[in-house]
Amino acid sequence: MTTAKPHRGTIHLEDAEILTHEAHPGGQYILRVHSPECAHRAAPGSFAHLTCDPLLPMRRPLSIMRTDPEAGWVEFLYKVVGEGTRLLSRRQTGESISVMGPIGQPFRPRPERPRPLLLGGGVGIPPMVFLADALRREPACKPLVMMGSEVPFPFTSRPSQILVPGIPDGVIAAMPLLEDWSVPSRLCSRQDFPGCYQGYITDLARDWLSALNTQHLQEVEIFACGPHPMLEAVAKLARDYDLPCQVSLEEFMACAVGGCAGCTVQVETDQGPAMKRVCVDGPVFDARAVFP
Amino acid sequence: MTDELTDKLAIDFCGLRFSSPVVLLSGCVGFGEEYTRVAGFSNRDVGAICLKGTTGAPRLGNPPHRVYETPAGMLNAIGLQNPGVDRVVDEILPTLDFDETRFIANVSGSTLEEYEAVTRRFNDSPIDAIEINISCPNVKEGGVAFGNDPDMSARVVETCRAVTDKPLITKLSPNQTDIAENARRCIEAGSDAFAVINTLMGMAIDIDNRTPVIGNNQGGLSGPAIKPIALLKVHQVAQVCRAHAIPIIGQGGVTTPEDAIEFLIAGASAVGVGTALFYDPLICRRINQGILDYLDQHGLNSVAQLTDTLVLNGATAC
Repeated sequence: MTTAKPHRGTIHLEDAEILTHEAHPGGQYILRVHSPECAHRAAPGSFAHLTCDPLLPMRRPLSIMRTDPEAGWVEFLYKVVGEGTRLLSRRQTGESISVMGPIGQPFRPRPERPRPLLLGGGVGIPPMVFLADALRREPACKPLVMMGSEVPFPFTSRPSQILVPGIPDGVIAAMPLLEDWSVPSRLCSRQDFPGCYQGYITDLARDWLSALNTQHLQEVEIFACGPHPMLEAVAKLARDYDLPCQVSLEEFMACAVGGCAGCTVQVETDQGPAMKRVCVDGPVFDARAVFP
Repeated sequence: MTDELTDKLAIDFCGLRFSSPVVLLSGCVGFGEEYTRVAGFSNRDVGAICLKGTTGAPRLGNPPHRVYETPAGMLNAIGLQNPGVDRVVDEILPTLDFDETRFIANVSGSTLEEYEAVTRRFNDSPIDAIEINISCPNVKEGGVAFGNDPDMSARVVETCRAVTDKPLITKLSPNQTDIAENARRCIEAGSDAFAVINTLMGMAIDIDNRTPVIGNNQGGLSGPAIKPIALLKVHQVAQVCRAHAIPIIGQGGVTTPEDAIEFLIAGASAVGVGTALFYDPLICRRINQGILDYLDQHGLNSVAQLTDTLVLNGATAC
């Protein structure tokens, strides 16, 4: 039998040199590795499965934050939450780690919705940066990014030069990288971080949506990644405004190629409830399927 | 890999030619195509692939979390998520390339009748062999409840034997008092081969919430942590199998070529790889090469010459 099998050979294993590995407050790290195949093939929403330490039997899945296909690097933002990420944080520039990627179904923005709203919470920030980088290249697209964090953001925010109607006065803190890309962004936290919206990211999003006229509202699509309660709130927000919404999920993961069904999430389908694998059926899902 | 190398690695397993003694284990590789997503991975690198455990009706499986890393291993409790035997036979098997490797079905059930029905369905399919899963620790009914009782194990084997002529492999549980006695009973009931061992039951606890980490509360422990246990069980089952020329797939924590060689020496004809794939998806090639190197270094012409060559110290029985 010689049936074409298009899925074959789509995930690459690379011994990737660590190019930079920056520590940030709150146990956050930005890791950049030389991984040209992954850099070339990744799309916003993709993740990679990394070896943290030879002594650990399992890899760790990390969302991709940025890529440079020409230079061949991939960048991740992660937070130390357990033994794997703790050991990963000790890896030094110049060392090699095994990168397996890109993996997963990416975000699929609808061209007829040119006002995408990107919501990233904590370690859910990386795929939103990657998506913003892709959307800014679309001429008619006007993405807006909101980020939330309860630990200091892994960058030094600066006052935005881009006016966004519907955002409360004084909420001016933005991610410099996005500013440089001319993509408006705003930051949220319940901590007392200057220029940030003092509250939940979904409340700021609701403020912005409420200020849109009917025509503009119909041009919005929501993309989100973050903690489960945040995604649940985002899904409700999308329902309230009858907006399409794609969410990126995370779950403990073993194989990351669809072989073990260890990372499944229950979703609603036309045929009833089903268990979908976060690794290859996701990590991006329709919010209505995950939070019916 | 050249034909010459393949011949050295090839084994006869219940009349089936495996091009390598390495077998991919049920539950780790979906229904045979999943790992081919990885560039450089080929089903041709292994002698056989055991497909995901299959039941009569579709099963959603257990709630998350289903996997969790533990020292030198991992817990899993997938709960036999599968689309049911009809879809497996009608929709999945036709997509597999049987020229690449041997495919082995893994049959599970909650009742004897379900084992019988699923085995009968696979018997009328291109599948190369059938593995009876009487050792799944992660379902409420069937599975290990059958596998830990030699009488029930034998009844399951007898039931499946009656409806298939294909090679029948019984996957034995380590969670029982006397695995050798169980093997003996399964041979009498018609088992052609054994897979030794399935996972050991275990638990991990989230001390912040004081709840088990695994959604199913308990799970099956795999990985290097269980290798010494698996080796002993293979050795014990091999004592029973020797007189009947019954082959064993030795499995449990195989991570290196040396691990595989240990299992062969202990009495296995083939070696199962599962959890190690999760860290190194191309590990089967390395194990093949490592076994070939060992054969060359020791002047052996085939893997079969290595099987069951353990020399015990003194006269101590175990």
